[in-house]
Amino acid sequence: MRSDVYHIDVESAQEAHRAYHCCGDVFLSQRKREEGRVVVVMSDGLGSGAIANVLATLTASMALNFTLKKQEVERTAQIIMDTLPADGEKQLSYATFIIVDVESDGETRIIEFDNPPVLLFRKGEPTPLLREVKEVQSRAGGQRKMSISHFFLNADDRLVLMSDGVTQSGMGRATMPFGYGLENVSRYVRNLLRRDTSISSYALSRAVILRARNNDLMQPQDDMTCGVIHFRTPRRLLVCTGPPFSDSRDGRMGEMVRDFEGRKIVCGGTTSQIVSRVLGVPLEVVLGGETDGLPATSRIPGIDLVTEGVVTLSRVVEILKGLRVGGEMRGVGPAWDIVRMLHSSDEIYFLVGTRVNIAHYDPTLPIELEARRTLIRRIIRLLESKFLKETHVEFI
Amino acid sequence: MNKAIEVKICVGTLCSVMGGSDLQLLEEHLPQEWQEKVRIVGSTCLDVCKDREKYGNPPFASVDGTIVPGATIVSLMELIREKIERGENR
Repeated sequence: MRSDVYHIDVESAQEAHRAYHCCGDVFLSQRKREEGRVVVVMSDGLGSGAIANVLATLTASMALNFTLKKQEVERTAQIIMDTLPADGEKQLSYATFIIVDVESDGETRIIEFDNPPVLLFRKGEPTPLLREVKEVQSRAGGQRKMSISHFFLNADDRLVLMSDGVTQSGMGRATMPFGYGLENVSRYVRNLLRRDTSISSYALSRAVILRARNNDLMQPQDDMTCGVIHFRTPRRLLVCTGPPFSDSRDGRMGEMVRDFEGRKIVCGGTTSQIVSRVLGVPLEVVLGGETDGLPATSRIPGIDLVTEGVVTLSRVVEILKGLRVGGEMRGVGPAWDIVRMLHSSDEIYFLVGTRVNIAHYDPTLPIELEARRTLIRRIIRLLESKFLKETHVEFI
Repeated sequence: MNKAIEVKICVGTLCSVMGGSDLQLLEEHLPQEWQEKVRIVGSTCLDVCKDREKYGNPPFASVDGTIVPGATIVSLMELIREKIERGENR
């Protein structure tokens, strides 16, 4: 078994059929932290809109839960096929699915059912997958085929999943009468990876969807989903906020910040003074920048971002709550800068000082300032549940 | 040698929620002839908000080291004007 030093990054992007508000594709993912496993499921409901979404949700939820419980693949497929209706004559399922199960050491199983095949990119190049075709008997009497792949991901490998809304985009146009096609998607992704070898899963999935939407002249003719799984070394981020409970621990806090390997954010005026003093580097407040109404940021050499404390962190919570997975992150100001750094990191470490500033609890304040520890716990919950981030917290 | 009058604007949490963020616009209100006589800098918490009895109420600023409680753009402009008239920027 290979050592557990990799991060499994998962992102997706979607567009609904032009005539519907609700996307008939569903993309679900869940990280089983204790096992270091990530399970990703994508389902395409027949048709578009709410009904398709319900079928796809039912399919994806069953697939996800059975897989998490390590149910046998054939059994999972059988249960899904028996639960969902199918057009026996046309042999058409009311929902398709792809299941990708990635272990922490890169061992991967992919089950594909009636969907465009998953693409593997190794060192930026499309790499064929060995697939075993199995037949599954459903109670309705039909026999359906599904493909199963079992292999190990290498560092920096990427898997690209998509619904047929992507491969069939542009269908009927003179330049692509049969649609964009899997080959063109593969070529497009390969070119993106050549241009930027460190492109994020978020940017890659969005780029594929935008390309498909362009193929349909900005009027998607079907629901479109693209998911990207990137197996890589983890991107680490430290968020240091709040002065230590005791002055005697200031040095320890400064050392932890100095010695951390990865990007660093310091939130809080007093905290930044401590870091500046212990590290022996200057602290400069930056007036006049775009802060979206938040207090000004500062600069400390060696620290990637220095902001104010609880007011900014409260805004971070609000942004994370309202942010849709795969949604755009174009906001301005220090809170959005923090959110972008959190989003682009895999392992996020919080170093939280526990000294209480009594002045923050003044009843005459025009707004209520939430306790720092509560804010950090809320941020952690959102990062773990919504964005599948790995977080660690230490109170000092 | 001319010494600019240094105005520090506290950008700490308490001062910001008590109206201190407006003070960051002070530079825009300075008349042209004062621009070179005044240096406006931001400061992390001036650490006086914990002792209201001694220092007064936020938002705080400091003008050449003197703490100004309940600072507003108008009050700071007034202090700067007094200092310039007294020749304290020289």
